[in-house]
Amino acid sequence: MQDQFIKMDSITKIYPPDTLALDKVDLEIQEGEIHSIIGENGAGKSTLMKVFYGMAPPSGGEIHFRGRKAKFATPREAVASGIGMVHQEFMLIPSYTVYENVILGAEPAGRFGTLRHADTKPKVEELVDTYGLNIDINSRIGDISVGAQQKVEILKLLYRDVDVLIMDEPTAALTPQEAGELFARLRGLNKVGKTIIFISHKLDEVLELSDRITVMRKGRRVVTVDNRGLDKAELARAMVGRDVVFSIEKAPASLGEIVFEARGLRYVDENGVIRLEGVSFDVRRGEIVGIAGVEGNGQYELVQLVTGLLSAQSGRVFIGGHDVTGEDVMARRKLMCYVPQDRKVSGSAQNMSLVDNAIMTHHRLNPEIEDRCEALLSSGRCRAFTSRLVEDFGVLVPELDAPISSLSGGNQQKVVVGREFMLDTDFILLDQPTRGLDVGSIEYVQEEVVRRRDAGAGCLLISADLDELFSLSDRILVMSRGRVVAELRPEATTREEIGEYMLGAKDAQEDWRAREEVGK
Amino acid sequence: MHLMVEMIRSSILSATPVLLAGLGGAYTFHANVFNIAMEGMMLIGAFTAVAGSYFSGSWIMGVLSGIAGGLVAALIFAIFVVSLKTDEFVTGTALNMLALGGTTYSLRQLFHVKGAFMSHAIQSMPRWNIPLISRIPHLGPILSGHPFIVYASILLAFVVEWHIFGTRYGLRLRAVGEDARAVDSVGVSSDRIKAQAIIASGVLCGLAGAYLSLGYVTLFSENMSNGRGWIALAVIILTRGRPMGLLLMSLVFGLFDGLGLSLQGTIIPPQFTQMVPYIATIVALYFYSREKRSARGGKETPTT
Ligand SMILES: Nc1ncnc2c1ncn2[C@@H]1O[C@H](COP(=O)(O)OP(=O)(O)OP(=O)(O)O)[C@@H](O)[C@H]1O
Ligand SMILES: [Mg+2]
Repeated sequence: MQDQFIKMDSITKIYPPDTLALDKVDLEIQEGEIHSIIGENGAGKSTLMKVFYGMAPPSGGEIHFRGRKAKFATPREAVASGIGMVHQEFMLIPSYTVYENVILGAEPAGRFGTLRHADTKPKVEELVDTYGLNIDINSRIGDISVGAQQKVEILKLLYRDVDVLIMDEPTAALTPQEAGELFARLRGLNKVGKTIIFISHKLDEVLELSDRITVMRKGRRVVTVDNRGLDKAELARAMVGRDVVFSIEKAPASLGEIVFEARGLRYVDENGVIRLEGVSFDVRRGEIVGIAGVEGNGQYELVQLVTGLLSAQSGRVFIGGHDVTGEDVMARRKLMCYVPQDRKVSGSAQNMSLVDNAIMTHHRLNPEIEDRCEALLSSGRCRAFTSRLVEDFGVLVPELDAPISSLSGGNQQKVVVGREFMLDTDFILLDQPTRGLDVGSIEYVQEEVVRRRDAGAGCLLISADLDELFSLSDRILVMSRGRVVAELRPEATTREEIGEYMLGAKDAQEDWRAREEVGK
Repeated sequence: MHLMVEMIRSSILSATPVLLAGLGGAYTFHANVFNIAMEGMMLIGAFTAVAGSYFSGSWIMGVLSGIAGGLVAALIFAIFVVSLKTDEFVTGTALNMLALGGTTYSLRQLFHVKGAFMSHAIQSMPRWNIPLISRIPHLGPILSGHPFIVYASILLAFVVEWHIFGTRYGLRLRAVGEDARAVDSVGVSSDRIKAQAIIASGVLCGLAGAYLSLGYVTLFSENMSNGRGWIALAVIILTRGRPMGLLLMSLVFGLFDGLGLSLQGTIIPPQFTQMVPYIATIVALYFYSREKRSARGGKETPTT
């Protein structure tokens, strides 16, 4: 009975007190298919998968797996039944290495449980190579970027021999090339009979990969269709309930004075690897400068130098005409707003309430939420401020006092983006700002960026998404091996050309990785 | 010279309970369970060990019942903290108070004495004379003639080091301490690992208690753990649960504990001589952790 492979029967999930995350969802997944689930932020995609995987107990409904009633009370039982999952909010141990994270839970052990790495380390290395993941398995999770962490999360799944692969937004932080390689491998796995459940907001990927597509909206399953003759606009309409614009209209840039300048930045990390070398560029008021590059070519370090989390060995940073090279983070934050790539760790405090997260940074800088006595915050004003953010950015929230971790991934991202945009500064630094957002929200954020540009702000945009770079940027800088190797105008270049600059770096990666002696 | 030998000898003896409790606490430390109940577990172990030895007439039964005492205390702690998710600090404090009150009360009910219970019927642990070594001058008395648990606990430090940093269980344990949900998500129950860590700490604290009342001395007195559980906790936190660090730091504690004892009877008031080991431990910990931090450049060293 093939169509009895996975069968979910009116699954309901209520998060106390009264968030109806899933409302009688029926879903059938056939053995050996690639089944995509799409839907707006907060539609319940992740929740449905967590229920299936045993991470969230359902409030009602039944699940049948391989024709038998299955109720996974913990992920342990799901794992034992051959199910694996890539989690949207990564499940990684920060102080462990990539390798240790991969083997955790499926460790190779000899007598008395002594760990044996002799066979598995090469096996993990090999997986990294065959999937073209380009990460060092000995680096610590806490030291690597979100894109690399995303790959580790995928690697964890590939390392285990599972029959059902659940992938919750596995490509949110990958570049198109990396996603392409991943898909090729997924198809290979699919050919040998693995079933894949794929969640993504990138409709092109969904159309490219899936056999069938399920659309969810507001906790319900709207429709499941065969992937034949569908187009992107149609899918988007089914998801959001209206037409979505995929490319932003923008007027030509009217340039003002320089609002950000990097001059000769050089950064060498603690292992002696040169991460940035001679990086100089500027951003003017009224323009959006995009940075393209394969993950791990210095973008991450550049952002940290700009925000003040790292300090450069040489070079200077100017924001709004001030030399901020030696200044601390706070001094810089007065001059810039910043959307970090990592909403879970740097972007928010997961256990704190929505209000607390919404007023972060504002609590120091924004007089609007102060009490009459300046030293105090007015809780009424903080709430009003948060409500405004929630309204303007269309955040789907249960209540203002709920911890931010109870929001869906995309909605958390909206809170971070909204908070930063409400800081009215002339320089905007965006690191993967639309990661995990649905098409409707991406449209909103992108329009907002353009609006701010037209109002005279200068914006530096780092994105793994070439489409986003093309549609937003006035200039695109390509980074490779820690240098800016090209400056291009989107109307005068092509994806292929940018890709060549980016990949030119890839071939030379080997000798770049070989540690270079410094300080002698 | 004789005084030196005596001091080093006694420092090894008084280091042992701190080391044992510390090794137990290393498990809970890595599982991120804030275990302040070690003091209480040790005290209960000391009491049940004396009771077991007294009633059975065998030191082996005494040690086993000491371990059982610590185990029961740990089970209570685990049920509250892991299953019922109560606050670790509050639960631990309650357990410590229960241990102090409970052992004092039982002392009076069971043995009808106040303060301390001594009896010839309590069988203490035998001392091991190591054949050749015991004859070496100076070194002999230092290394030989201790209760066997002293040797066992040093060996145990190496075993625990291997267990926490070299085995599958250890990898999972430390992962639970950092992010329990991530461990659950790969199909390993973090609650079970936490409970196991608490039980390990209970067993080792119970053993530490048994050593106190059957090895170090042969009696039970009220509150005889006397802050050793707390010292163990401080040592664990500042050595970040590294068994080798625990071994070193508990020897430092032991050394100054011995020094404090030998300063008694001099003009220094006894209240001050009793403070010596505690102050010395804190000072040593300060230097130890500063050293570690600069060696690591503010980060942990890789463990693979
Ligand atoms: N732990 C939680 N506690 C309370 N509510 C929650 C919790 N997790 C999710 N929710 C709510 O359940 C709803 C569905 O969330 P879910 O994460 O499934 O959305 P999603 O479809 O995966 O969205 P996204 O595309 O943003 O990841 C949201 O309204 C969210 O606020
Ligand atoms: Mg989700």
